[in-house]
Amino acid sequence: MNAATINFTFDGKALRARPGQTLAAALLDNGTKLVGRSFKYHRPRGILSAGVEEPNALVTVGTGGRTEPNTRATDLFVYEGLVATSQNRWPSLSSDLGSALQLVAKALPAGFYYKTFFGPPKLWLFYEKFIRRAAGLGPAPTEIDPDRYATRAAFCDVLVVGSGPAGLIAARDAVHAGKKVILVEQDAKLAPSLLRDPHEIESKPGAAWAEDVAAEIRANGGKVLTRTSASGLWDDQFICLSEKLVEPGQVPANGFTQRYWHVRAGEVVLATGVIERPLTFANNDRPGVMLSQAVRTYVNRFGVVPGQRVVVATTGDDAYLTAQALRDAGAEVVAVLDSRAAPAGQDSGFAVFNSAVPVTAKGGKNGVTALVANLGGTERTFACDLIAMSGGFTPLVHLHMQAGGKLDWDEAAQAFVPGASRWNVRTVGLAAEPAPAETVGATGVAKQAFVDFQNDVTVADLDLAWREGYRSVEHLKRYTTLGMATDQGKTGNMAALDRIARREGMTVPEAGLTTFRPPHTPVSMGALAGLATGEHAQPTRRPALYDLHAAKDPIWLNAGYWKRPRAYPVGAETLAQAGLREARAVRSSVGMCDVSTLAKFEVQGPDAVQYLERVCQTSVGKLAVGRGRYTFMAREDSLVFDDGTVWRLEENRFLLTSSTGGASRMATWLSYVRNHLCADLKVSLVCVQEHYAAIAVAGPKSSAVMAKLTGAESPRHMSVVDARIAGIPAWVMAASFSGERAFEVHFDAAHAEAVWNAIEAEGCTPYGLEAMELLRIEKGHMVVGPDIDGRLTAEELGLGKMVNKAGGWIGASTLHRPAFVDPLRKQFVGLEAIDGGSIPEGSMLVRWIGGEAEGHVTGSGLRVLEGGSIAIGHLKGGHKRHGEELYAYSPTRKQKAKVRVTSPHCYDPAGERYRD
Amino acid sequence: MTDVTIEQLGRAPLHVLELWGDPKAAAKRVAKALGHDLPKVGKAQGNVLRLSPTTWLVEGDVTAPKQTLGDGGALTPSGGGYERVRLSGPAWRSLLMEGGLFDAESPAFGIDSVVTTPIDHIAVTLRVESENACLAYVPASHAVDLLRFWQLSAGGLPR
Repeated sequence: MNAATINFTFDGKALRARPGQTLAAALLDNGTKLVGRSFKYHRPRGILSAGVEEPNALVTVGTGGRTEPNTRATDLFVYEGLVATSQNRWPSLSSDLGSALQLVAKALPAGFYYKTFFGPPKLWLFYEKFIRRAAGLGPAPTEIDPDRYATRAAFCDVLVVGSGPAGLIAARDAVHAGKKVILVEQDAKLAPSLLRDPHEIESKPGAAWAEDVAAEIRANGGKVLTRTSASGLWDDQFICLSEKLVEPGQVPANGFTQRYWHVRAGEVVLATGVIERPLTFANNDRPGVMLSQAVRTYVNRFGVVPGQRVVVATTGDDAYLTAQALRDAGAEVVAVLDSRAAPAGQDSGFAVFNSAVPVTAKGGKNGVTALVANLGGTERTFACDLIAMSGGFTPLVHLHMQAGGKLDWDEAAQAFVPGASRWNVRTVGLAAEPAPAETVGATGVAKQAFVDFQNDVTVADLDLAWREGYRSVEHLKRYTTLGMATDQGKTGNMAALDRIARREGMTVPEAGLTTFRPPHTPVSMGALAGLATGEHAQPTRRPALYDLHAAKDPIWLNAGYWKRPRAYPVGAETLAQAGLREARAVRSSVGMCDVSTLAKFEVQGPDAVQYLERVCQTSVGKLAVGRGRYTFMAREDSLVFDDGTVWRLEENRFLLTSSTGGASRMATWLSYVRNHLCADLKVSLVCVQEHYAAIAVAGPKSSAVMAKLTGAESPRHMSVVDARIAGIPAWVMAASFSGERAFEVHFDAAHAEAVWNAIEAEGCTPYGLEAMELLRIEKGHMVVGPDIDGRLTAEELGLGKMVNKAGGWIGASTLHRPAFVDPLRKQFVGLEAIDGGSIPEGSMLVRWIGGEAEGHVTGSGLRVLEGGSIAIGHLKGGHKRHGEELYAYSPTRKQKAKVRVTSPHCYDPAGERYRD
Repeated sequence: MTDVTIEQLGRAPLHVLELWGDPKAAAKRVAKALGHDLPKVGKAQGNVLRLSPTTWLVEGDVTAPKQTLGDGGALTPSGGGYERVRLSGPAWRSLLMEGGLFDAESPAFGIDSVVTTPIDHIAVTLRVESENACLAYVPASHAVDLLRFWQLSAGGLPR
């Protein structure tokens, strides 16, 4: 082995590791046996395994934002500068005050929380502080992770999980058959089993053979990924891989720390191998009690001999390899306890005791000192500093099961093995054919015999749960926490099933299994997020005028994915002050607003009218060229779900606008109608939402502004003309959302800034969504979402007179359902405050405080010029209740206002201000 | 140092061509005006990309095809809604695998292939220009985000 040259720290102590060692190997190499404290009882724990199944040696790695808690020391390769810290102890690992809980362990049985913490929920908040301090794993980092996580797709014919001999051969066969192959291995080295048990394959040393096969796979176009675990397998061989580009806590050279792969494979080959099972005896969790194969791994792969006087306890043949490896490394094998009857193992050359099982490990936090064994009925104590145990092997079938596979029971191996697969998934190697072993059951004091090391579940806990009636494995899991969290029962589940089966007097297959859910091995949350973090956690859509707005430093509003200005404050103005100033500018002079985010669709073709009259509830065919109208759209149930305007640009060419918030839904709906309900029509439908930028120019002076900009008379209300503004072709549409004479200018978004600047130069005041809300609420104009919420008909929204009486529109056939004549259906109304004060938005409309809600406030504002609170809302039978006095009451905000029901149109109800 | 160059080309005159009724007749007329056949599904030819069975994206001047359409179809301007981005260099295919769910590395995605697919949740239309370059039509409102995504991802591509 190489010399120890890599500097790292554990709990602040400077240590050195040899290249290629895991943290666990390096700690053992440095004589460190105590590595952690258990979850519940704070029992001293050492290193049990040499792989991802490690339940004990969980550490926190890294510093600052790179801190990663609960990292298995057995799955972390030491790098220069590694900082590792033990967990769940105070003030130190060696002197942990929490370990006092061991003295009261009897008072902390399974289901302790459920039995103890009765009372008001508020008390939980009190208990929580103590529980979290006393129990738990490593704390989550509080700083932002500075590194990046990539998310990547991949496609292959064959994906092989596991690079042991079976996996390598399967991958090699596949590439030679011309298949595109991906081979993944969670270890840093290929074929780790060949490093544990070196032997020749195809006349080559195992490790060299593995490297040669991998090179052959790569040379034939295959991909070989190490430090990559398959975290989940779903239908159609869709599999996710979590690849560590650097070790946890390590600074990545290119900024990327992990990559999460989404792979679609034609076939998945699982060569996942097996996990060795612990034996269940008293104090089997003490530092110095290790899995047999793990001991062999440390000896043969990492050059570390974890003990000098060793007792090997086994139920099968494999552990004899460990005994031999230890003897070869110079350790003394005190005894081999073989649960099988003689002559098993008698020809091994070791001191073998048949029908022998371990009963109690002696020792403390710094390691075991002896093992009390039952030798066919008589007890004997063996002095030792290491116990290597082997309770058989559990095939890793989690991926097979996640993809809906079935399991068969292998009686010889006392293990579940993969059965039929739902998808094109097959299992090869030891995972399909585990070595024979027998099950010996638990020995020693049940309260000290651990089944689930990570969650501190003992045989006594299982027995208690069984006595209390928890027969289903699923219930028992949740009651005892068996197999929970990051451990997922890797080492403990089979022992637990065995115990339950024995109590029930049934076989293990009859006892059943819990559900296999991904991920089997923890996946970093960052890997799932990818680059979508912080301000990029969701897509941000920027309108064409975004940069221009940003230069004005507005108050932004995230309107769906869109980033839109809410107001442009001047000086120290608040949002409310800026919004009101901007709204007053529109009422008294002229304002301009970016409305580019409106949904826009061009509809062309000889059947365009026919199509639009299917989609719109209003008539369209009567529009002359150059004219437009307000319109709205219903679903098949006749309930209005969106509104907008429709403009006849040419005889067979229309522009249809609808709401920003409903744009994607409308695009889907229009496409559905076009392709499925009106497939035979000669019509083209194209979403031009982003092609056209749009600016609203509103206010009594808007007509003069537009005339100056276009050099022509402004179009009359609901007319559209072709024009040029700043040399840019544009449609000028006379339409108003504010209640003032107003225009919408639509033009190629590539020229957005030029047009905006030209309009602003005419003295228009930019206004944002806050002012727009004030203006449209005062005018009684609805918006999709709060007002048009998909629950009211056109009649109930006050739009009944505009409905195309000829029918033909989608939903027409259901308009006259009996339910729609119910006088208590909600209708759109206006509200005004009687006693001053504001009307709480979203509040209930009630006759008295505490009375039944008869409606709600959908939008609240004020009279822009005169002041005074007004609102709009939905009210049962509201159209016939104008003049009635109610309360707008918000119990959650403890706000109320006395209101009078009115028409929604508080401003210019006759619409005289639309016209010059 | 990355193996892919991300070049923002800006916007261009783009039109969506949609044919209806008897599309074969209209397609013949348009093809004659264009000087080549309209490309098949999933393909591009000249400055035309097939978007769906009845729609194409036409880049550049459409005066000639517009005159031949008659009542057989329509051309709708849409260039203001797209940023064009060229991805070039040996790793452009690899870059498209980041945040995507489409097999850009498949040999079937050859020169003049066209696909519209989500990348980092954004629907992008791709055209393979050559073995060394691909042109992406990105919704303008998402362009800033997607360019950031590509630039970051380009620095971490697997070797």
